[in-house]
Amino acid sequence: MLVKNITLLGHKDHGKSTLIGNLLIQTKSVTEARINEAKKTSKKLGRQFEPGYILDSFSEEREQEMTIDTTRAEMVHKDLAFAFIDVPGHEELIKNMISGASYAEIALLLVSAKADEGIRDQTKRHIFIARMLGIKKLIVAVNKMDMVGYDQKRFEQITRELKSFIERIGFGGSEIYFVPVSAYNAENLIKKSPNMKWYRGKALVDLLYLNAKIEDKMKVGGPLRITIQGSIDAESETVVGKVVSGVVKVGEEISVLPFGKHAKVTTITVKGKRAKKASVEEDVAITFDRPINENVRGAIIAGKEEKPKMASSMEGLIFVTGPIKGNLTIKINSNEVRCSRLEILRYLDTTTGEEMKVKKVKELEAIGARLTLGSKVPIESFDRVKELGRFVLYSDRKFAGIGIVI
Amino acid sequence: MIKQDLKSLEEKSIYVIREAKIKFPKIAALWSMGKDSTAMLALARKAFLGKVPFPVIHIDNGIDFPETYQFREDLTKKWNLDLIVAKSKIKPELSGFACCGANKTVELKKVMKQYGFDALIVSIRRDEHGIRAKERYFSPRNEKFKWNYKDQPAELWDDYSSKLDDKGHVRIHPLLDFNEIDIWNLTQKNKIPVNPLYFSRNGYRYRSLGCTHCTIPLKSKVTNLNGIIKELSTTKIEERAGREQDKERAYVMEKLRALGYM
Repeated sequence: MLVKNITLLGHKDHGKSTLIGNLLIQTKSVTEARINEAKKTSKKLGRQFEPGYILDSFSEEREQEMTIDTTRAEMVHKDLAFAFIDVPGHEELIKNMISGASYAEIALLLVSAKADEGIRDQTKRHIFIARMLGIKKLIVAVNKMDMVGYDQKRFEQITRELKSFIERIGFGGSEIYFVPVSAYNAENLIKKSPNMKWYRGKALVDLLYLNAKIEDKMKVGGPLRITIQGSIDAESETVVGKVVSGVVKVGEEISVLPFGKHAKVTTITVKGKRAKKASVEEDVAITFDRPINENVRGAIIAGKEEKPKMASSMEGLIFVTGPIKGNLTIKINSNEVRCSRLEILRYLDTTTGEEMKVKKVKELEAIGARLTLGSKVPIESFDRVKELGRFVLYSDRKFAGIGIVI
Repeated sequence: MIKQDLKSLEEKSIYVIREAKIKFPKIAALWSMGKDSTAMLALARKAFLGKVPFPVIHIDNGIDFPETYQFREDLTKKWNLDLIVAKSKIKPELSGFACCGANKTVELKKVMKQYGFDALIVSIRRDEHGIRAKERYFSPRNEKFKWNYKDQPAELWDDYSSKLDDKGHVRIHPLLDFNEIDIWNLTQKNKIPVNPLYFSRNGYRYRSLGCTHCTIPLKSKVTNLNGIIKELSTTKIEERAGREQDKERAYVMEKLRALGYM
């Protein structure tokens, strides 16, 4: 069964864990034992049954009622499986949120309809991050509708406000869906709720299914790109890596960057078996008709003519997660390179999508910058081949941001 | 239990195993002769063209099942494994949590130091236990083997962590995304040898293998891989129901893992 990864997004306490917990219970995707365990924990802590306890499994998570690190839970609907990635909604845990969300194909954003909760900075920031991670499918669940009397106006108000933010930052994917739900009462999750007859759309699970069925056509027809992890061993000339775009065939003339050499593919091995070709997302072991280079880690195999450019400077959009100072390095496609200069071109507020008045680098906000690198590396724009157009920024070896090449 | 698409699971694991071996030349893998770590070795052979390219460690407390020892000997020969047996002694006064901590973890520390390993492949899966769901593919541990689960490094796309410092090591988890049923599906499709304890004898079989002291078999009549896969697609019983250490205290696994247990 194909598994689609879905990341939950949204401000803390807007009900992410509760939503997943109840989806799992409603679709019978968890064992009785797990449900009973969560019931016991709820009781022990003197609380009402909390479906979110099925997911939050660190003792601190249950006792403090928060998700600390990401977790994954699976559910089946029709012919597809969904793996929900629950992420922490707290600001200080953003690196865990990014780690979890980076594997997702679909983002499910939760926003509480309650008057004192509603759209928060973190709600919008998570949308900004999803966009930077290259997630193209977004569903917004407006939660806790039971606590606002199933008020259609409140739902529409939140929808309007978020739509205008999403348009401003340019999400640039397929259609964005909005659904009113009560995660705790399991309303509009699997079945349409009689309390919200005014809502004409599909229940959440059907929206997820619909989005999961839209294929990502970009990659299959894309240009040939293989990222090389290294040689199979010190003596061997067999290199291993992953096809991140396009198709490679035995007998094909290819180019190897950064060396600028040409060679002909003599053998391809996929999952331990000889193959005539390999396509996107497959791991390969490849040999060529002539030696490539001794140090192949981080190299790129591309078509003979159609290849990425080699560059020692680039323009990027960076979401800042820590102080940017001292020695800067970036990791881009297994290449770790020094960033000798970082010239900031603009300062972006990630909760409005607009330029900030205060010209200062701030954590959880973004910068547009020109980066000068210590050596030439193969680089492409994120929109063209995302594996070669995204990077992680380290400041004195500490995680300082994620970036995309513009 | 969800049977996932095997192809994408294999691709991810092969990538992670290759990344581990290329990043850390001084790497070893834990092998318990159970289904998971044996499946991992089969994937390593696929990743490295028929050869397991690192030593495998068995932490042997002397009280594993006879079938397990036999399986170890047979497969070591068949796959030409570089096997390291690290013998630990059972202390009769300890049980459960203390026993796993004292035996396996202490011995593991010793053997890693002795050989100078700085990376260790451990075949855990997210669906085994809530705590294991929180793991990363590459997870750094400090000198004392501690897992700082409240402050794990970021791990995004295919960018994996390095060591914290020269004294620590990195745990690598290539099977994190597999479910129990996927392991069996992989085993069947690739004809991976199986420890006979997983099949029913006298109405009982083992679903998860620990040592003889703490592992209890479950009621089952299943005697082949088809049967196991069928049984798992309908079962409501948790895999580790027969493992004592998990149940002793609610958060015992969290503690064990923080202290360096696998």
